[in-house]
Amino acid sequence: MDAFIRVANQSQGRDRLFRATQHACMLLRYLLESKADKEAVVLKLKRLETSVSTGRKWFRLGNVFHAIQATEQSIQAADLAPRLCLTLANLNRVVYYICDTVLWAKSVGLTSGVNREKWQRWAARHYYYFLLLSLVRDLYEILLQMGQVARDRAKREKSSRDPPKYSVANEETEWLQSFLLLLFQSLKRHPPLLLDTVKNFCDILIPLNQLGIYKSNLGVVGLGGLISSLAGLLTVVYPQLKLKAR
Amino acid sequence: MDAWVRFSAQSQARERLCRAAQYACSLLGHALQRHGASPELQKQIRQLEGHLSLGRKLLRLGNSTDALESAKRAVHLSDVVLRFCITVSHLNRALYFACDNVLWAGKSGLAPRVDQEKWAQRSFRYYLFSLIMNLSRDAYEIRLLMEQETSAYSRRMKVSGVGVSGGVETVGPGGPGTPGGSLPQLALKFRLRILLLARVLRGHPPLLLDVLRNACDLFIPLDKLGLWRCGPGIVGLCGLISSILSILTLICPWLRLKP
Repeated sequence: MDAFIRVANQSQGRDRLFRATQHACMLLRYLLESKADKEAVVLKLKRLETSVSTGRKWFRLGNVFHAIQATEQSIQAADLAPRLCLTLANLNRVVYYICDTVLWAKSVGLTSGVNREKWQRWAARHYYYFLLLSLVRDLYEILLQMGQVARDRAKREKSSRDPPKYSVANEETEWLQSFLLLLFQSLKRHPPLLLDTVKNFCDILIPLNQLGIYKSNLGVVGLGGLISSLAGLLTVVYPQLKLKAR
Repeated sequence: MDAWVRFSAQSQARERLCRAAQYACSLLGHALQRHGASPELQKQIRQLEGHLSLGRKLLRLGNSTDALESAKRAVHLSDVVLRFCITVSHLNRALYFACDNVLWAGKSGLAPRVDQEKWAQRSFRYYLFSLIMNLSRDAYEIRLLMEQETSAYSRRMKVSGVGVSGGVETVGPGGPGTPGGSLPQLALKFRLRILLLARVLRGHPPLLLDVLRNACDLFIPLDKLGLWRCGPGIVGLCGLISSILSILTLICPWLRLKP
């Protein structure tokens, strides 16, 4: 109960809950659409999805300032590569929120001369760039972790003094297995990095679909959105799972 | 910037901002109507107000849980009167939020058969009860503080000694023998009470803010339930003032009234 209240008291936590609801509705709608006798349920799910989607705009109002602050913070990062990725990512997020605010103003009737389609495309594009740069940063962090794990393993092997085994057969398969094992160990050691990567990867399916770069069905987008929302919720509930800039 | 980010990270803060904007629209709409503004502009303001109202309902989803939790916490207060007032207030608030959720479900098309009028009346009734309990609690706090102030004053007079004889001298000429003296005496007593009240409220800003906020909020359900027709202008103004006061307590937590 206390955990729920703590989450609900933060606007970001509440937004994640509604986002999870929105994408869960999308997924359910896709799954039920083929069923003949579920038309009423599908219609209700569509209405709920629309209501939550519209309402969520209120949570995003003012987030442009959060993004600006995040940009200022990312400039302070010590490592050059993450600094560059994060700063550019956050700048794109600022632009995305500005576009989103313009779209909100349009939807409530404050501005009449706004081309909705154009601004929606702009918003989706900058959101896409933001996620792409976030993934590049995640990739960089993963490579660092893999390097670290490899060095630790080499150190351990040296101390154990076992003779190295060489086998010519299935060299390619062995390399792939070795790589995947290394990747797995890196991510297992660093849960915030795993969570951030999963979240960004699932999120990127949404603008990819909107921009027509990679067309997915409603189910995939819904599932991706749901998983990323839940991952986001985890970082709100447990702040130690949030990926910190080095 | 940091202050804004910290402030808007609270979901309650966004709800209060939406509320301030909603009642500002209401007030503006009323003013424009009276000064003969264009129908197009009036329609636009009304539309925006509607959007803000619906948006706030989404922001309030889940608040029932919070109110119940607050009620549970209030049960443990040592003072019997405070315990009763605060607990019942939170329970009414929980019911108000529950009704509000039903209204949201109706408006968003999830439950189309919801009787909007009936549930709206119910929601405003619970809101009114909650506010009455809040004001009762405020009145109780004021009475306690006034008694404290009176005791402190009496103690000060007793210590000085001169005041006692002075008091006796004052009562002398205005004694029971003079029937006409009762009215000015009553007026004097009333003025002293008012001064004492002003002193108490000035010395306790959180209490003053809470009284003002609850008093302003009171006009909203009274108008909606038809108990006291104020008109949209007054309701808009009161809503705006109470929203701003709420935002103040969120920005400066030391201005929040502690139970």
